[in-house]
Amino acid sequence: MVRSLASRLALWVLSGATLVFVASGFLLFRMVGGQILEQAHRESGALAIEGSSLIQERLDKITDTARVLATIVGPRPFDAEPLIHDAMAGDADLAGLAVAFIPGTPLAQAAGQSPFVSRTGEGVLVTRDLLKDPAPYWNAPWFQKGLTCHQGCWQPPFLSRSRHERLVSYSSSLSVDGNVVGVVNADVTLDWLQGVLLAMKVPAGIHAFVVDREGTYLANDTVGLVGGKAPSSLLDALNATGAAEKWSQMTPLNQPDSNAWVYDEPIRGTDWKLGLVVPDEQIYAGVRRAFLYVFALGAVTLLLLALLTMLTIRQLIAPLGVLAERAESVARGALDFALPPSRKRDEIGRLTGAFDKMRQELAAHLVELTRIAREQQRLASELDIAQQIQTALLPGPHYLDARCQNFELFAALRPARTVGGDLYSYFMLPGQRFCVLIGDVADKGIPAALFMARTITLAKAMASRAQSPQHLLQLLNQELCRNNDNCMFVTLLCGFLDTASGSVTIASAGHDPPVIWGEDAPRLLQLTSGPALGLDDEASYPVFRLRMKPGDTLLMYTDGVTEAVNDVLGLYGSERILAKIEEFRRSGDADPVKFLGDDVEAYSALLGQADDIALLALRWNHVGLEKGASMLDIVFPAVVDRVFEALERSDETLAQAHVRDDVRTDVRLVLEELMINMVQHGGGHESDGMIGLRLTVVQGDVLAELNHNGAPFDPLQFASPNLTGDIADKEREGGLGIHLVRAMASELSYTRDEYGNHLQLRFACSGMQGDDHGL
Amino acid sequence: MGFDLRIESLRPEKSTLHLQGRLDALTFVEFDKKAESVLAQMAQRGTVVLDLSALDYISSAGLRSIAKIRKVMRAREGQTLILNPQVQVRKVFDIVKATPLKEIFANEQELDDYLARIQQRALSEDDDGN
Repeated sequence: MVRSLASRLALWVLSGATLVFVASGFLLFRMVGGQILEQAHRESGALAIEGSSLIQERLDKITDTARVLATIVGPRPFDAEPLIHDAMAGDADLAGLAVAFIPGTPLAQAAGQSPFVSRTGEGVLVTRDLLKDPAPYWNAPWFQKGLTCHQGCWQPPFLSRSRHERLVSYSSSLSVDGNVVGVVNADVTLDWLQGVLLAMKVPAGIHAFVVDREGTYLANDTVGLVGGKAPSSLLDALNATGAAEKWSQMTPLNQPDSNAWVYDEPIRGTDWKLGLVVPDEQIYAGVRRAFLYVFALGAVTLLLLALLTMLTIRQLIAPLGVLAERAESVARGALDFALPPSRKRDEIGRLTGAFDKMRQELAAHLVELTRIAREQQRLASELDIAQQIQTALLPGPHYLDARCQNFELFAALRPARTVGGDLYSYFMLPGQRFCVLIGDVADKGIPAALFMARTITLAKAMASRAQSPQHLLQLLNQELCRNNDNCMFVTLLCGFLDTASGSVTIASAGHDPPVIWGEDAPRLLQLTSGPALGLDDEASYPVFRLRMKPGDTLLMYTDGVTEAVNDVLGLYGSERILAKIEEFRRSGDADPVKFLGDDVEAYSALLGQADDIALLALRWNHVGLEKGASMLDIVFPAVVDRVFEALERSDETLAQAHVRDDVRTDVRLVLEELMINMVQHGGGHESDGMIGLRLTVVQGDVLAELNHNGAPFDPLQFASPNLTGDIADKEREGGLGIHLVRAMASELSYTRDEYGNHLQLRFACSGMQGDDHGL
Repeated sequence: MGFDLRIESLRPEKSTLHLQGRLDALTFVEFDKKAESVLAQMAQRGTVVLDLSALDYISSAGLRSIAKIRKVMRAREGQTLILNPQVQVRKVFDIVKATPLKEIFANEQELDDYLARIQQRALSEDDDGN
């Protein structure tokens, strides 16, 4: 298999040229061959005629001599012997002359002899009397035949025993007065005839011969054949020679493959023919040689042409080979290589240029692709981490109030993408309150996730300061409005559960209404909502109060549930939520969040979840109140007497709860300081001022909550007084009470909302009994 | 439980006030009045002893009353000594650093020793002056 383009092209060029060359050569050869054959026919025919004439000329002399003798001898029979002797002497062509008379005739008697003069091999003339021959000649065939040849005729050749030569004789009858009396016989040797034939100067390769009627060779350029019979094929060819054509074809005996042409011409005066055999080789030898030379030259030329073609093409397409190699390396991924220099502006040059450009762009593209892939990988891993962080922001999906199992909570967050903007959270707040919130940031993906993280973190941080859910929403809103240039917003539903009583206060910032069910069928809580957080920093949020009965469940959800879409683009809707919750209520399952979440997932399975989904369910069990109940919850006017009444009640309550004496005294001191402060600094209208006091003991700790609708007063804002070691040093004694409060209470938090100041305090009871302190 | 004040050995040089119950925002007015009358009779360089062994509770209002007494006595170059404060009161005193520690005494004996040392020093000072 030839793989190189150059050698293949060279091969095709060579083949094509050879085909054309051979075909045209063959055609030319045929045409030239025909002409040459015709010419050969003409020339050989002419040659045969010429040879025939030549031989005839020489033979005519012999026959003339014989005829003259016959004429002369008739009247003078006795001069026969000298006459023929002279004739012999005068004509060297003659090998012998004889005048044979019929014995007994008057002429024979007058002559007295039948003289015969012959020439010996040495050229000496010998005379003999035929009558004295032992064999009578008059019975011999030649004599008998000669008697009949009045015009003279040639006898068949014969071998002379006396002379050891092949001879052929011309006989002419001798007549006297119309009576045949004898025969004049002239002999010539076949050697002589042979000499005459050879004198024709027949070109080499052409076979010339003389044959008589019986097919005996009288002369032949091949000496050995003389006297023999000519082959029958040759004789057939001779006989086939027509009048129009002087040639015929034959196949020589000894060369059956070759072809030969036969030309013949009768020799006048005889019944002999001159024949020429010209073999094809002879005719075509010249042109064949010429064509052979041409072919040889042509073959060399073609080879050179093929070689030149191959070299040229190879040189032309050498860059192609390199390009092919480079393209293979490109396929393997290697792009860093050198290209052959190309200064020519031909197709190869353009291809090289284009290839180089392609290579560079491919390399650049690959680098770009690699960079993008790396970038995407980095983004994906960052998203994973972001998801982990977001998940870590959320509390667990299940919460059971461990202390008294008063309530149980289920939650779920199913983001549509890796990270999402939905959120839920829940945590305990001071004062036995449990905060739950669920929210939905507008938009999805990373921006929403970041805003969600901000919201949830702020909510947790601010919840302890918030007096109520509406207050928390207000605080959050103010914080989220700050620097919110791209107007992100979040809808939020926030509820504070009083874990002692089961009463819930709910505030909504543009969020979907929650669902509640228990003994009754599920229904939507149609609460008035404020604007979403982050849009209007002066927004306020109405509050909705609800008292949960034992077994009630409050379900909060985001719009990913109601706006889930099925395969016929039908919305999930709140009716379906109510229907599913009813189904759940009857099923007796424990986890409504999983039940509803799975149903939403099945509903939107075909089109996929389009929006984030958050669900939060709060079930109120109302198991026990005795441990976590508020022991004291009173509201009274802000006057000193009523303050001290309240202090007495508080003291009694704590004593009944077996709170240690030292703690009780601390509580009393702190409450007195704070409440007296409220009375003294609460504002002008004493009659309006009201103080709310609530006391709870949780796990031995005393929790106190003080609410006052007076002027803003944050005890945490006061700087510590300058304690010199002597209270008499001070110009004013103010600040001592607040200092005491801060020193005594384990925890203190202050919030203010539209209802006034809210203080939350905790007194830890751990540690030693006060009595053991000693002094 | 209210507040009660018992005044013992009212002399211009040295008076002892026995405080009982709670001295807070409700009772400090009464205490201030009574203390005022006592202080009015005190001589220059006199000593007021506040016996707190029966005082169960004191708030910042009570501290201010005590601060007033100390101010008046200081103006007269006298002194105000605290005797036997109970746990809660002592804790409050500690927190606000109400009086120098050397002026708080656990019992009457310590107080008498302290007064005797003062007396001694005053006498020797007089001698030096002679």
